[in-house]
Amino acid sequence: MMVLRRKAGEAIRIGDDIRIVIQEVQNGRIVRFGIEAPADVAVHRLEIYELIQAENRAASSADALAWLKGGSDATGAEQDE
Amino acid sequence: MPQVQSKMSSEIEQGTEEFNFPQGIAGFPNATRFGFIYEGRGNMVCMQSIDMPEAAFILTPWEEDRLGEAPALSQEQRQCLDMVEEAALIWMVVLNPFADPEWVTANLKAPLAINMSAKRGIQCIRKEPDLELRYQWMHQPDKE
Repeated sequence: MMVLRRKAGEAIRIGDDIRIVIQEVQNGRIVRFGIEAPADVAVHRLEIYELIQAENRAASSADALAWLKGGSDATGAEQDE
Repeated sequence: MPQVQSKMSSEIEQGTEEFNFPQGIAGFPNATRFGFIYEGRGNMVCMQSIDMPEAAFILTPWEEDRLGEAPALSQEQRQCLDMVEEAALIWMVVLNPFADPEWVTANLKAPLAINMSAKRGIQCIRKEPDLELRYQWMHQPDKE
C-alpha cells in the first residue's frame, strides 16, 4: 500500500480524474476529505460498501429469473456472502 | 410487449431496451448494462445483467406507504443519472429471495434509482444505521 503524508489543505491526485483534498484533521484523530471524482466512480465508506457488496452477492443469482417464474429450486438456500 | 406497471406510474418494458448503470452494482463492478424481464408476478421484475449471467436481481418498486418517502438524490447522483425531469425517476428495492427460507427480504440500505428517460440507474448506498439490510418484505411464495 502506498502511504503519503499530507497536511490540511493539501491534496492527492489519483489518475487524471480523481482529486482528494485533506480538509481538516480533528483532534489529531479524525480526517475530513473532499473527493472529486467522475460521476461514474462510486465513492463510499468502506464498511458500508462491503456490507452492500455481500448482500448484493447473496441476492443475485443466475436462478433469479427461474425464481420469478415460480420455480422453487432456488428458494430458501443461503448463498455465499 | 410485456410491461411492469409500477405504483409509481412508470413502465419498464421487456425486450430490446438496455439500461446503463455506470457505477456498476456493488459486488459486480463490471455489470453496467442491464435489461428488465417481467414474468407477470405482481410488481416484481428481474434485472438481468447483459454481460454477467450471475448478476440478476429481483426488484420491486419502492412503496411509500410502507417505507416512507423515497430517499433524496445528491447532486452527484443526479449528475450520474442525467436527471432532467423528476417524473422520469423511479425507485426500486432489491429483493433477496435466497437468504431466508420464510421471507423474501428487501435491502433498504441500497435502493436503486432509475431514470427512465435516460435509461440510467445507480444503486444509492445509504449510511443511516437504522436502515435494514434484510427487511422482511413478503413471505416466500410457497409459505403463503
